[in-house]
Amino acid sequence: MSLKRGFAAGLCAAVFLGASWSMANERNKIDPPSYDRMQILADVLAIVESDYVEPVETQALIEGALQGALAKLDPHSGYVPPVAFTEQVKAARREYGGLGIEVTMEEGMIKINYALEDGPAFQAGIRSGDFITAVEGESIVGKNLDEAVEGIRGLAGDPVIVTVMSPETGTRDLTVVRQKVRGRAIRHRVEDGLGYVLIESFNNTKLTDDLTKAINELKAELGDPLPGLIIDLRGNRGGLLTQSVSVSGLFLDGGEVLSVRGRQDVDTERYHAEDGELLPGTPIVVLVSPGSASAAEILAGALQDRGRAVVVGRRSFGKGSVQSVIPMPGKRGALRLTTQKYYTPSGKSIQGRGIMPDFLVSAFDDTGELRRRFREDSLPNALINIDASEYEEDYDAVTFPPETFPETEDFQLKTAVDVLKSSQYQTLLDAQSDLD
Amino acid sequence: MKYVLPVVGTVAALGLFAFSTANQAAMAVEKPSYSDTFEQLDLFADVMARVRSDYVVEVEDGQLIEDAINGMLQSLDPHSSYVNPEDWLRLQEQTSGRYVGVGMEVTQEEGYVKVVSPIDGTPAKEAGIESGDYITEINGETVLGLSLTEAVNKIRGKAGESVTITIARADEEPSEITLIRREVNREVVTYEIKDGVPYIRISQFNEKAAPGLEGAITELRRQIGGELPGLVLDVRTNPGGLLDQSIKVSSAFLDGGEVVSTRGRDGANLESYDAAPGQLLRDVPVIVLIDEASASASEIVAGAIQDRGRGLVLGMTSFGKGSVQSLIPLRGGRDGALRLTTQRYYTPAGRSIQGTGIDPDLYVSSIPDDGEDHDRLSESDLPNSIENEDSEAAEDIDTEETVIDFPPEDFDVQDDYQLQRAVELIKSGRYTQRLAELQN
Repeated sequence: MSLKRGFAAGLCAAVFLGASWSMANERNKIDPPSYDRMQILADVLAIVESDYVEPVETQALIEGALQGALAKLDPHSGYVPPVAFTEQVKAARREYGGLGIEVTMEEGMIKINYALEDGPAFQAGIRSGDFITAVEGESIVGKNLDEAVEGIRGLAGDPVIVTVMSPETGTRDLTVVRQKVRGRAIRHRVEDGLGYVLIESFNNTKLTDDLTKAINELKAELGDPLPGLIIDLRGNRGGLLTQSVSVSGLFLDGGEVLSVRGRQDVDTERYHAEDGELLPGTPIVVLVSPGSASAAEILAGALQDRGRAVVVGRRSFGKGSVQSVIPMPGKRGALRLTTQKYYTPSGKSIQGRGIMPDFLVSAFDDTGELRRRFREDSLPNALINIDASEYEEDYDAVTFPPETFPETEDFQLKTAVDVLKSSQYQTLLDAQSDLD
Repeated sequence: MKYVLPVVGTVAALGLFAFSTANQAAMAVEKPSYSDTFEQLDLFADVMARVRSDYVVEVEDGQLIEDAINGMLQSLDPHSSYVNPEDWLRLQEQTSGRYVGVGMEVTQEEGYVKVVSPIDGTPAKEAGIESGDYITEINGETVLGLSLTEAVNKIRGKAGESVTITIARADEEPSEITLIRREVNREVVTYEIKDGVPYIRISQFNEKAAPGLEGAITELRRQIGGELPGLVLDVRTNPGGLLDQSIKVSSAFLDGGEVVSTRGRDGANLESYDAAPGQLLRDVPVIVLIDEASASASEIVAGAIQDRGRGLVLGMTSFGKGSVQSLIPLRGGRDGALRLTTQRYYTPAGRSIQGTGIDPDLYVSSIPDDGEDHDRLSESDLPNSIENEDSEAAEDIDTEETVIDFPPEDFDVQDDYQLQRAVELIKSGRYTQRLAELQN
């Protein structure tokens, strides 16, 4: 048996905060594992092939071996077999047919929260604030949101008749042709006289554009400069590294957003914000939760480190590693491998410890203790951060909702509003620089 | 050359009651094409090279390969695994030596370690650990992400040292239990006379099982002052052990003839294991007690006695582990060994019990009927477990109408209803009639 010693130069690798493509660095001459070790695996394979109680497939055995080895490295590394890999590429490109609207249920009707400008609903005259009362003549009263929306979805190119009620024009039937539309990864609204944007995910190549548009709409409504902005990253699992950098760039005037470091120092890559910012002087609160991970932590960490925003909520997830998807030549699937860790502008690693809010605020009632939350460091075989142990939240430092606070309301959001509207914002911002 | 795999008694908890073992590496079976194997190994080497050069921190080759081999074997079935050189040495010592540990049989379920059964006379049993308990943490560290072998290695250690495990049980808060490892008395046979009926319990099939049974019979005969009027043989919660011991134990009741046969891939390499001629207990009524945790070697004994019409089997359907693992050393053990499922076994009537278990002749529950169908953990629940080739047999167990004899509602579970029913049956004289009914 001989081992393949080289690799075709210039393999494509995806940096897997999400799926942006970059070139893998071909810096090292690659040494295969020692012949001895490989020989053991080859021996085992031969014995299993001949003696196992049932017929076996070599490919499945090697797949099992690869999964076994890679899963032990860390929770984000793994082998993606050829079929699954093709599926994954497809899934990333899949598009849905719809009307290009974001909706909620209100008083038994579908309320349009937002109509995408380039979507068919907007072009047919449907606007935010309108209600849909019937689909294809069938009233949606008494249905839940999923049932109500079901009739709206369908194949791109097929028309659907919706009955629309709006304050200006009353009720009318509109025929809208479903199109392949891309969804937004954000939601925005005015919250108590302040701007509010929820970023659900960084896995959307138009995120920065959508966010810019949303902020401009908020400006149009609330006046320029905005009196304050809340960026909600709670539950945001991350996504594309490039989007986290460009979104950070909206709020920072140049300077470092993060650095990405591999095993060797020469591998360090630094990412910078573009010059100029969208909201100079506007106070910003970033909301984070233990579910905020990866790209979301990059944004929160950059705005916090650079003194541009106050971070409110609970300590974030702590996924500070970058995965490269390395296709194995010859359609042999791909390797998803943790190759780098990333660091905030002040040089802190996020891995295993996350972003610590400036103001610790719980969404849930005080139970006398901090509930253990699921974070990166609770994952089996997680890469540990050397100084992570000092990064625990202090129960005494956490603000809990008062007992009288209504369960249906969002205490963290309310706190963010209070912070922005009071001198507390400046106090918290000053405390940041005291630490540095 | 035969390798004995003493999983149960000695390593307690290493795998699951794997037993017996022939090195059959030389079996002639059609091999997958050379080029396919070569290509796959090539892929593996390429990926490993990539990991070696690009992974975010340095990795150790040996560990990678060991994890890979384990990954490969565990993708096959729950009983196949890699034994690294260190464990191989320990295994060798234990074959001849002593067992130090806490004494429980475990398996893995949804990432957690699940107790199949605590072993009689061990720290685990004394601490009140029960079949079906989940172990979620070992010394305060989660077991999630650990392979079964790794988890077991953390539980094992030197005599006199302690290990703290967190036990989760349905409807109870998780609790920590500290166990002190010790050298465990490997006597696996206990006996007594219950209401005038001799009772022998075998808790595992280690090398002391058959001698222990013979000794117990001799002693019981002495106490009774003659031939036994009947015998209740209890293999409940017995997770199995060595194949040769199950054959010797069966030989006490059978005069020659087949006890069990094993077959490799596609039914090849049939081997039949027969009882020794002559029997220790001729014409003595025998009732074998089984339950959901009776596995492997226990199922061989129950299956042989049932199929040969030598006695009645009473209790609940057994676990259903009908596969045989071989322990195959790599380069004489210098590279460790392979624990590989190489055969299935079949009862004398040709039944495979893989996934289905042995159904008792008389269904008797140990706990009162609460109207619920209790989930039993069985072989077929294990991830990647091998299916029974006869799929109808596998379905039968759920569809067949079974009448279960439950203890009355206020029955104290400590009083052992299954044993009581067995004793009553022997004393009432209805035993012979029931046996005859079943044979028709």
